[in-house]
Amino acid sequence: MTVLAAPTASGARRRVLALAGAETRLLLRNRTAVVNSVLMPLLLVAAVRAIGLDTAGGNQLVVTGLGITLLFVTYYNLVTTYVARREDLVLQRMRTGELTGPEILLGTAVPTLLVTLAQVALVTAGVTVIGEWSAPVDVVLPLLALVLGAALMVVLAAASTAFTRTAESAQITTLPLVMGATVGSGLFTPLSVFPEALAGVLRFLPLTPVVELAQLGLTGRAWDGRAVDLAGAWSAAVLPLAVLAAWTIVGGLLAGRVFRWAPRR
Amino acid sequence: MHPTTAPAPPSPVPPTVPAVEVVDLRRRYGSFEAVRGISFEVHPGEVLAVLGVNGAGKTSALEVLEGLAAPSGGSVRVFGRDPQHERSAVRRHLGVLLQASGLPGDLTVAETVRPWGRTLTDPRPVGEALEMVDLAGRADVRVRSLSGGERRRLDLTLALLGRPAVLVLDEPTTGLDPESRRSVWTLVRGLVDDGAAVVLTTHHLEEAEQLADRIAIMRAGRIVLAGTREEIAATQPATITFTLTADAPALPSLPGVRAHTRRPDVELHTRALQPALTALLTWAAEHRVVLAGLQARSASLERAFLAVADAEPAAAEPAAADPAA
Repeated sequence: MTVLAAPTASGARRRVLALAGAETRLLLRNRTAVVNSVLMPLLLVAAVRAIGLDTAGGNQLVVTGLGITLLFVTYYNLVTTYVARREDLVLQRMRTGELTGPEILLGTAVPTLLVTLAQVALVTAGVTVIGEWSAPVDVVLPLLALVLGAALMVVLAAASTAFTRTAESAQITTLPLVMGATVGSGLFTPLSVFPEALAGVLRFLPLTPVVELAQLGLTGRAWDGRAVDLAGAWSAAVLPLAVLAAWTIVGGLLAGRVFRWAPRR
Repeated sequence: MHPTTAPAPPSPVPPTVPAVEVVDLRRRYGSFEAVRGISFEVHPGEVLAVLGVNGAGKTSALEVLEGLAAPSGGSVRVFGRDPQHERSAVRRHLGVLLQASGLPGDLTVAETVRPWGRTLTDPRPVGEALEMVDLAGRADVRVRSLSGGERRRLDLTLALLGRPAVLVLDEPTTGLDPESRRSVWTLVRGLVDDGAAVVLTTHHLEEAEQLADRIAIMRAGRIVLAGTREEIAATQPATITFTLTADAPALPSLPGVRAHTRRPDVELHTRALQPALTALLTWAAEHRVVLAGLQARSASLERAFLAVADAEPAAAEPAAADPAA
């Protein structure tokens, strides 16, 4: 029988946008969250300005800002949001309609992704305002770092809900990724200070390729500290791009297997 | 509440295809089998009420029909399609009201209904949907501020928003006041008159009596009794009660009647009420006996439900009565 029409891609876009609109409205109703989202990146820039920049300059600050935002806003927020929505039975209700599972997860993530974008833009603008911005080697690699990094955070957040019982326990369950990335992704400590064998391993952590790609484009430096030009940046980008793509695919498959829509009874 | 516009079933479907077809459905959680092989069909324009005590397996069975869970055995079809594997094809014709579900508290009623409508293929207008459940006057109220009954009616309007041809309602009126309950019944009847097929669970026997064309009583994962209200009630004996004065003669043995006498009260159980009553009245007239407080009534759905729904599996057979006195 062909009586029941097949879904279309435009239907998927319409459904995600409908959900994203409601979720964004919900975020804007939460004044505290909105103010925090705007203040955090501005405070980051102001603090660095007050303390004085190291030799890495303003572009490195944008790299750091991008990493921090992906970890603490995109990843952490989404684990909390997905778990809270699951425990409140909101996800289960949405699954009774025409939205598919991935559409529900994406639509719910949209406000968080918008905040991520806004924060990276604010840090970049702040760095420019204090006169520390310099022309990047390449803009495509940092944009890839932002887009793929955000996608990775979404799938890792969805997968992390499997071992997160409540929104509060996300403070604990997100620690492995947050701590691992804080220490070993080159976000605060350049990988070049680690022994080479260890650094070679750290390059395979999920957030490291994001930092590498952003750094290659924005500061023209490879993971081992050597300076690169445009061609050198792209040839050095092959491995991090592959690692990032692999993590995103594995994270997506894992999320598809372990994600639960309803609280455990 | 004003049921409006028909939720027409997909027109090219031949009338022989049931809206819902469940065959030997099983559902297992680890070693516990919550649903143990149930079968039923629901056709367009028909209401099936599934009754049972908590834990009988009603919600577990409905979750498969809703496409939210896979069966561990058997099959479920909605217009011939699998609700889980052909989800996108089944979805737009299915309206689901979960027993419990969540809504963000910081959105208003209209802000909740409007985007939900945009996720659907053929949504009703928001105003019309709110009219149907008497929430039009509450459109700009935050969900957080609604009463429990209003929340439930908002859930219901979301379930109805896509003009579903099949409605699955898991305890639709739990938590509603009697007046709201009656208006939900009116609403559901209107949708059914327009051709919707409805499967509902309920704890309220009155709800099943009011709405259902057929009733299935579940116990411990199985359907132990199914049929129309009259058929189900008829599985239980009718009752005749009266009191006799101390000097009255002994009751004769009446055909097909079991008597439970605790003088002066007499209670007779029979599956053939009219002949039993005729014989009784004839005897009373012949012996000039007064049957004080005489009452005769057919079994109620409630009696049938109580007899089978909560019984131990060993005592499942209805109407095990004491030996005649």
